[in-house]
Amino acid sequence: MNFNPNDLVGVLPAILLAVGGIVLLTSEVFLRPLPDGAPPDRRYQAWLAAAFAALGLWAALAQIGDPTASLFSGAAISDGFGRVVAATVCGALVLSCLLAFGYLEALRATRGEFYALALFSAAGMCLLAQATDLIVIFISLEVMSLAVYCLTAYLRRGKKPAEAAFKYFILGSFASAIFLYGAALGFGATGSTRLVDLANGIQRVAANAPNTPPGTGMLLWASVALLTVGFGFKVAAVPFHMWVPDVYDGAPAPVTGFMAAGVKAAGFATLVRILVVGFGDPSAAMGPHGWQTVVAGLAVLTMLVGNLLAVPQRSVKRMLAYSSIAHAGYLLVAVAAMGNAASRPDALQGLLFYLASYGATVVGAFGVVALIERKLQASGGTDDLSSWAGLSEQHPVLAAAMTLFMVSLAGVPPTAGFMAKLFVFRAAISGDLIALAIFGVLTSAAGLYYYLRVVVYVYMVPQTKPDAVAGGRVFSAGLALAGCALLVFWMGLQPGSFAALAQTAVQGFGR
Amino acid sequence: MSWFDSHLLSLLIFLPLVGAVVVALLPRAEGGQHKAVAFVTSLVVFGLSIPLWTGFPPGAGAKTQWAFEQKAAWAPTLGFSYHVGIDGVALLLILLTTILGPIVVLSSWNSVQSRVKEFCIALLILETAMLGTLAALDLVLFYVFWEAMLIPMYLLIGVWGSERRIYAAVKFFLFTFIGSVLMLLAIFYCWSQSGAAGARTFDYTALLQNAQFTAEAQRWLFAAFALAFAIKVPVFPLHTWLPDAHTEAPAAGSVLLAGVMLKMGTFGFIRYAMPLFPSAARDWAPTLAVLGVIGIIYGSLMCMAQTDLKRLIAYSSVAHLGFVMLGLSALTAESVNGAVLQMINHGISTGALFLIIGYLYERTHTRDLAAYGGLARVAPAMAAVFLVVVLSSIGLPATNGFVGEFLILIGTFTAQMGAWHPFNFEIQRGVALSVLGATGVILGAVYMLWMYQKVMFGPKRSAATHGLADLGGREWATLVPLLALIVIIGVFPGEFLAPIKTPVDDFIARVQGNGGRRPDQSGQPVRPRALRPSFDIAPDARPKPGVLPGQLLPQRPSIVPQGNGQ
Repeated sequence: MNFNPNDLVGVLPAILLAVGGIVLLTSEVFLRPLPDGAPPDRRYQAWLAAAFAALGLWAALAQIGDPTASLFSGAAISDGFGRVVAATVCGALVLSCLLAFGYLEALRATRGEFYALALFSAAGMCLLAQATDLIVIFISLEVMSLAVYCLTAYLRRGKKPAEAAFKYFILGSFASAIFLYGAALGFGATGSTRLVDLANGIQRVAANAPNTPPGTGMLLWASVALLTVGFGFKVAAVPFHMWVPDVYDGAPAPVTGFMAAGVKAAGFATLVRILVVGFGDPSAAMGPHGWQTVVAGLAVLTMLVGNLLAVPQRSVKRMLAYSSIAHAGYLLVAVAAMGNAASRPDALQGLLFYLASYGATVVGAFGVVALIERKLQASGGTDDLSSWAGLSEQHPVLAAAMTLFMVSLAGVPPTAGFMAKLFVFRAAISGDLIALAIFGVLTSAAGLYYYLRVVVYVYMVPQTKPDAVAGGRVFSAGLALAGCALLVFWMGLQPGSFAALAQTAVQGFGR
Repeated sequence: MSWFDSHLLSLLIFLPLVGAVVVALLPRAEGGQHKAVAFVTSLVVFGLSIPLWTGFPPGAGAKTQWAFEQKAAWAPTLGFSYHVGIDGVALLLILLTTILGPIVVLSSWNSVQSRVKEFCIALLILETAMLGTLAALDLVLFYVFWEAMLIPMYLLIGVWGSERRIYAAVKFFLFTFIGSVLMLLAIFYCWSQSGAAGARTFDYTALLQNAQFTAEAQRWLFAAFALAFAIKVPVFPLHTWLPDAHTEAPAAGSVLLAGVMLKMGTFGFIRYAMPLFPSAARDWAPTLAVLGVIGIIYGSLMCMAQTDLKRLIAYSSVAHLGFVMLGLSALTAESVNGAVLQMINHGISTGALFLIIGYLYERTHTRDLAAYGGLARVAPAMAAVFLVVVLSSIGLPATNGFVGEFLILIGTFTAQMGAWHPFNFEIQRGVALSVLGATGVILGAVYMLWMYQKVMFGPKRSAATHGLADLGGREWATLVPLLALIVIIGVFPGEFLAPIKTPVDDFIARVQGNGGRRPDQSGQPVRPRALRPSFDIAPDARPKPGVLPGQLLPQRPSIVPQGNGQ
């Protein structure tokens, strides 16, 4: 294997993020307590982390039009698809850092590790989106996951965070093991861990080439099933979703927002690469429709369960957790539509647009939740919808922002969420998955109910408790929320430029 | 077309939005300023809509000849564009919207005291969304505006409504949203059939000209579109959200809901569902007509059982919209003309009714019919105005309601809709439906006059004894334009039928004529000769025979009242 230093440029976003993490960790060493014995001023850390994330965003966007290049002898790839996912991850990280700043300051919990862990996990996500080798995928997956486990437990207050992190860690490791087993079976069937070789092996099986050992088809089936399960866990597809509500609920709100946006984006990027590149045309080797049927079935389950279980939730965070499961279902519809070669470009474009728009919306929604949570953490209140009553009277702008994010999650125009659903369901229709699309829009209409309930509390239920939101630093949070709201409107009203970006990514989607 | 003409619609659509931004920037404490800005904005919007009327090119709306058309790139790679333009039907509805705009702001000047800023913003955004829905010529643009109407209306009901406002608001939103999502999928299907990959489009004009759907596909697509529109109209049995929403909404919300938003449903039928899928429209027309008649009778009967004033008017809307649906689905020139006119009439009459009841509620704080009585002696002016509006709602000759209902019933009577054969006895559907519909006119008179009598005459009851004030200057200002329109449309209906002649003729030709397919090489669909808006007898103006079953009905002369000055 030859090492070509130029290949490092292809993974520049991940490198910048990793360097940022190291810089932040190192800077902790030089901090001294203030003269009066107070802990040192760590406010620079959020801005530094945001700056590195912004650098990563810039690097991803700067390369967007470059030709597709295979890196490190085929272990990774630098293509538009990976770059758009990296840009989504970095963008979500910038916004999340700004949101975390005031949150951590208010709870007096700022430490260098927080931002460093976030940067490391983002580096793992960027690499995950570029990996084309099952081993590299596994390593990136663990880089991402370990950092996110730690972030989940970061607050260390009460039982909730510890429980959440422990559950996440145990179930996550379990999923990783399943993924590894699938990778091993794939290796056994084709003799390689490279996705391209996997695809070639499948072609040989499909062509009934001589020297194919008996049972290879079965091995491939088992492999694709196990790999899908492994990533089904990461993207929170039903029935691998059990960890989501507890983890989303237990993690600090800004982390949850980042997790919902970033982990989902990276997970779906890898799932798509494994299925589309590795297993190729679904009808090859695995009978008609192949993995498309599996993914469509998962999508139906995920949309149904996610939306139904979100309805009875009284905690906004748990509701958003189930809603994130539901959104994984809509994204799986796009993945299923990739099974048809005719609708694949539309579906890829739809998936990327959906990931970006969901990221902007969900980071914003959790940003508002973070502002509420600050107060609740301080006062020991319960995270119930009643804490949201009358928000519009005290904080009309915040109320309007939350309404915007809810409406976008529900997929009502003129917001990003609507355009995202337009892309995905349009692709499903042109891929002849009409029943799946009908099921999808009906469940999304059911989902409207629980999003509206937040709006009901924010605008229509009179305030019962004094003030829902703590004071303190809200400038950076306001900046981030304004950014999210702007993105939600922009993607909803002018989807053309984002769609063009996703289009370039699709054209360069290489094997 | 001058720059002004080609951008007029966009100015109209987005000016309220600009007004909303201005209101949002004003200081919170200045409630009066918010109202003033909202009022002035909507007044300017009304002023801008006058050139639409005066400069409306005769004959616009035939197939793809839209008036005041503007097309701009929005997201060309995705197949949708910013494309607006109007035909005569949209013109009348836009004028109705812009007239009601300043009226509702003025009407809620005193009644809305809390969160005035948000109220004004919601009203203005709603106006933008409504105007956009009427002017859009691209299916995605249409859907965006269509759904964008929901949020401000949801907030209007939910925040400024009465006791059960939250229930009503959520019900309203869920009903309309669930109905709409399937339409969205149908729109995607239309897109996927509109050409080869990469050249697909959401443009309504292009779809109308090029898209060809099998009869099977049409049936499903029409069902998806019709469900969305039928909920909005609302067609029986999808009407259950309406009484709640109307009753709980603040007066301004009720006026806009009844005046404009319900018409979006019928407008959707006449603009999108029926012309795009003509063969399915013909198949479904008898069903829709029957549902319309059920709506008329059921709505009227429900009115008689109400004790809540606003609920009564809400059910009367179900009945009146039943007339419109009957007229649309009878598919004759007279009935469709009447249906379009009745859409406007209902907006004016019911809008005025909700205004007056809003004023009554402001004074008495009750909507309970039993609490009213003897108001005519305390507030004679209000009683007089109320009477005119009630009579218009009943459809008394020389008011607007008469013309619309008359045209619908006469058009339905002559409609060739086939026949029922109960007990070997042949009943022409058109005749039966128009006779049943006509009973709705009588029932309408019964419940309206009964309500009027209870409120205005008889002994003074608690609500009336509070030294109730008669109409004030501001209230007069909101009612006079509507009263004037009631009389003008009643006496000179031709003026208002003239602009809708071409689109209605075209609509009939498309739906009845050739099934949306291109019959000959010239690319011109075969269509029957257009009706003239005159008393001329046009013996061959009936739609082509052979398309529908039930040609036993002899050909009848068709009658459309003469346009004034033609």
